[in-house]
Amino acid sequence: MNAAIDNHWYPVAMITGIDAPRETLLLGKKITLGREDGTCWVLDASGAELPTVERFGHLWTSPGQPNRDLFTIPEADNPGRRLVDVGSVKVKCSPLRAVENFLDIAHFPFVHTDILGAEPHTEVDRYDVKIREEVDEVWATKVKFYQPQAAKSAAGGITTEYMYRVPAPTCSVLYKTCPPRPGEWDIITLFVQPLTDEWCEVWPWMALYDDDSTMSEMVSFQQLIFMQDRSILENQIPRKLPLDPGMEVPTQADMTSVAYRRWLKKIGYTYGAQLVAA
Amino acid sequence: MILYDYVLSASCYKVRLMAALLGTPLTLRAVNFHPGREHKSPEMLALNPKGTLPILQDGDTVLTDSADILRHLTADHPEWQSSDDDRWLDFASDLNDSLGLARLHDVIGYAADIDTARAAGVTALRKLEAHLTEQRFEGLIFLTGKTPTIADIACFPNTALAPDGGVSLDPYPSIRLWMRAIRSLPGFIEMPGIHRLHELAHPA
Amino acid sequence: MDWVAVALTEDVPPGVVIPSRIEDTDLAIWCTPSGRYHAWSDRCPHRGMRLSHGFVRGETLACIYHGWQYNETGSCDYIPAHPKLTPPDTICVPTYTCAEEGGVIWVSLTDTDRPLPALGGRTPVRSLPVNMSAADLAAHFGATTFTTIAVVSDVDVLLAVQPCTGGTCMVHALAAAEADRSSVSHWLENLRATLEGVPA
Repeated sequence: MNAAIDNHWYPVAMITGIDAPRETLLLGKKITLGREDGTCWVLDASGAELPTVERFGHLWTSPGQPNRDLFTIPEADNPGRRLVDVGSVKVKCSPLRAVENFLDIAHFPFVHTDILGAEPHTEVDRYDVKIREEVDEVWATKVKFYQPQAAKSAAGGITTEYMYRVPAPTCSVLYKTCPPRPGEWDIITLFVQPLTDEWCEVWPWMALYDDDSTMSEMVSFQQLIFMQDRSILENQIPRKLPLDPGMEVPTQADMTSVAYRRWLKKIGYTYGAQLVAA
Repeated sequence: MILYDYVLSASCYKVRLMAALLGTPLTLRAVNFHPGREHKSPEMLALNPKGTLPILQDGDTVLTDSADILRHLTADHPEWQSSDDDRWLDFASDLNDSLGLARLHDVIGYAADIDTARAAGVTALRKLEAHLTEQRFEGLIFLTGKTPTIADIACFPNTALAPDGGVSLDPYPSIRLWMRAIRSLPGFIEMPGIHRLHELAHPA
Repeated sequence: MDWVAVALTEDVPPGVVIPSRIEDTDLAIWCTPSGRYHAWSDRCPHRGMRLSHGFVRGETLACIYHGWQYNETGSCDYIPAHPKLTPPDTICVPTYTCAEEGGVIWVSLTDTDRPLPALGGRTPVRSLPVNMSAADLAAHFGATTFTTIAVVSDVDVLLAVQPCTGGTCMVHALAAAEADRSSVSHWLENLRATLEGVPA
């Protein structure tokens, strides 16, 4: 038992995807989940019932005793948004590497070429990052980047503004300029289930203003983006995320990643982390 | 022509890539294969009772086999066909049943005997490497000759995506140069897991 | 440490980077557009991405993840996220001793003054992976070292063996310039089948 790791909520399934009971891994341990009379349940390896929350289209559980409720995204409840279950993709990397990649914009021109970024528009301007102590979350704001096709709903290149939020060690919420509704934010999340410390299942979920695209088109767009990241994530060495400075070299564009690593260290979240230089 | 398409499908990518290389416009209809299983929906089963993708609709013609679709797209482009294509189109389905299956297992949790799928994938890659090496001895880079045909387009996706299923491409130099030759073709388009050649871009 | 063959030059044409390894050391082997070979640690110091997935642009190797460019000494000289920044000298990739001889790219993980292996005028045929350790392969031929193993059977072949991870190796085969490369290639496939104990 390590309370700093166990007492968090983790996504383990898309609610609409639960039919027959099935097994999966959480933090390296086997769990079983299912649904009966419309209510989801999760059991640990010994058959003991684990706490559950159904939120954002996903089933969440915890192997410990969470001392606070699963975070909320109040904006996602605004009328007119379409909620998109993107489904999951498994990746052989630390869950923390998957989150850190989601917080990074500098890779867009090279990994999501002509979609989320394109040369020569590679420069990352200074943005604001802080750990909001009152809620114990990492926030990055005023992140701006030129994007050829920011969303399925975007007609052409625009400078997109982003806000990133890390409300839990293996989750991130992105608030992003909404092409059809200037002034509103699209919400794109990355919920990561740590299967082990070097293997994860990633459940993206979205709450978008988009009256034109089909649901399948929105799912496709996000799967395309995440699978472009997967081939990066499976080829980073080490698979775990180094938390000690010195093993990897950040620049100003990596301020969010630096804050994320510092925050993980502060709260003692070491699952999937590498603490000593190899 | 309408392609019922899944963005992560290697077989759908064969069709998108072939059309892009030919400059043939396709209307793409996104199908939520995962997690929606939309390819098994009544509307899709009405179009293709096998419940598979890709599906190409060209007027009254509906094609559901990627090899047939490649032949159809290149019907007026004999330079993209060769008498040796058939054996490589068969080989492409071996790649799909081994490397393709391992990829679906590792990425979206398809049920598979993963060790068997990967071992069959390695056997297929060794065959491909041996053939491409022979071709290079003759000064040829593509599967059937000096220029690419549907054989190359059929075999390229599942080969290039092998690492997605936990099968390394590192030990195959001839496959690597062949893939590079395909990625260098005018009109080439990528899919997730296959990067474009950034060295060809014009930086600031 | 002795020289190890890591690739054939014809498999690493100018402007190309490939992954390779010596035991547990992952390498990015690349050739500049003007034809110089380099062997580097296969890891970008920024976020640990394998450089062998990157691309050669001008006389630099760039990482696929964020496009950081490294010049031929291994120093980073361009960070696309900060185009006006001159990167500090401290951002650099570990490099290894690398030489080209006889159509083979040789690497030594430590400084060495040993001469490059003699190839007896043979020329490269092909490289192929074998599921057997380099030491076991050498022992199979009664050789004491796997750097190069001369095999005389129905064909005259020199095998330069590269130890890889997980008890596997890469065999780089050379033969007389006039040898039929296709025959040598078939002989190699059969040899591998014998060594691995599986049908070719």
